[in-house]
Amino acid sequence: MQVALKHVFKSFRHNGSTIEVLRDINLTVEEGEFVCLVGPSGCGKSTIVHLIAGLEQPNAGKVLVDGQPVTGPAPSRTVVFQDAALFPWLTVLGNVEFGLRMVGVSRVKRRTRAIEYLKLVHLSKFLHAYPHQLSGGMKQRVAIARALALQPEVLLMDEPFAALDAQTRAVLQNELLEIWALAKPTILFVTHNVREATGLGDRVYVISARPGQIRDVHTVAIPRPRHAEDPQLLAHQHRILGVLGEEIEKVLQEELGEQVHFPEAQHETPPERSMGMHI
Amino acid sequence: MSSPQRARPLLVRWWEWLFPPGYAFLKPEAVGLCYLLWWVTSRVFPQWPSPNHVVALLCGDLKDPVFTHALLGSLARMGVGYVLVMVLGVAGGILLGRLPLIDQVMGSVAVAIHAIPGAAWVPLAIIWFGKTEQAVIFTILLGATGIVLVSTDTGIREVPPMIQRASRTLGAKGLRYFWFVVVPAAIPKIVEGLRLAWAFGWRALMAGELLTSVSGLGQLLNQVAKAQQLDQLLAIMLLIAAIGIFVDGLVFKRLEHEVRVRWGLA
Repeated sequence: MQVALKHVFKSFRHNGSTIEVLRDINLTVEEGEFVCLVGPSGCGKSTIVHLIAGLEQPNAGKVLVDGQPVTGPAPSRTVVFQDAALFPWLTVLGNVEFGLRMVGVSRVKRRTRAIEYLKLVHLSKFLHAYPHQLSGGMKQRVAIARALALQPEVLLMDEPFAALDAQTRAVLQNELLEIWALAKPTILFVTHNVREATGLGDRVYVISARPGQIRDVHTVAIPRPRHAEDPQLLAHQHRILGVLGEEIEKVLQEELGEQVHFPEAQHETPPERSMGMHI
Repeated sequence: MSSPQRARPLLVRWWEWLFPPGYAFLKPEAVGLCYLLWWVTSRVFPQWPSPNHVVALLCGDLKDPVFTHALLGSLARMGVGYVLVMVLGVAGGILLGRLPLIDQVMGSVAVAIHAIPGAAWVPLAIIWFGKTEQAVIFTILLGATGIVLVSTDTGIREVPPMIQRASRTLGAKGLRYFWFVVVPAAIPKIVEGLRLAWAFGWRALMAGELLTSVSGLGQLLNQVAKAQQLDQLLAIMLLIAAIGIFVDGLVFKRLEHEVRVRWGLA
């Protein structure tokens, strides 16, 4: 399935005032493509995910999936949220079966399919555990299995690994790429981490500070698995950080109300150090 | 991760269920302090009975058929009343949460009923039902249903936004969304309401029994007070407190604790 946003505007009412979140967003994700969105916090990245998922409607413009406007959520477009958003009253198995149950898959079928996807994310030993017994990384694995079990054509991921430690994140990134290579769903992956975006995506959209606008698109034409020190990759990261640096400065100025400079040094330190890890 | 369940003797498991490690509903030092204060008081004021005397008296009472009859009567009424409270409160609360229009009207009624203490219903109950069993159960019902209604209703209407979004993207809508998402998401609130309802109901029961002449702990209280038997009065009050504490600690506090842990709230 191809996903396309055409001249999308979105604003929210908040305490009587209107906040413009997205301004004239145009983007496409081709069928089977892995696209990343990267931008400063509060830039409306999550809103883009919600629009495509059908959880929100745009104020103007079109959100199209295979040329058809999105009118609401559908099992062919599933989401992995940042905090996993598992159902605490259901076991791991119950969580993965949930979507299948909602679309009316029979008991036996949904059980086999849920177990199959839990195997895929290496959780077959924890079928009967409850979410509160799992670590953050394991919860995200369940959330991924839950989203995949519906065999979606579009997988939307809203900063899924942002709350995880660096090691867990790296492991899950690799596993995600493996899973993607198997079923080739169309993936839109939102992150604030430049290294993550360039490491995963076929293309990377850079979003500006609020109101979110598309500042830049990078095609990362590097075959996977990508090496973290690949000079081409580093060049992409460097350019994206250059753009993002200005945007982050804007956010800081707006939040703190004074001239704050995003330290120039961050652009110049070798990217394999800290650059991109926490942006 | 929790360790795998090993096979343990039933008695051990039962004991662990009652008193899970790291979870004490009655602190021994608190009991000791109460005892000490009581004992000192009885030393200072000679007319005040000592704790040992009262406890011994209570043990004797528990062998007296008239007393046990009254005790069982109270517990049975509380059981019947509480089951009704649960059913009416949860079902009504779900209905209120589900139908916003009715909620606007009935919600305030529920809050109003909830604002009236259980004991204040007794006179009305006596006018309607006479000094009967039904009057006491009616008192429990009106004293305790309000809180269950209000908390169930709140739980139903306050499903965490993340859970709402996640379930909608997974295809939950309509009645399925309600039964498989909204109701389970409301369970911590419902349990909270049920726990308070037990305490409110227990108070309402005592008030009802005090003012009607239905045989029960409340009525015994009335009798011994009229006969000026201070030690007996204290023995019965001690029992009333003990039942309240034990049921709350062994059933409701536990249940609430377990639900809060599983729902990720503790």
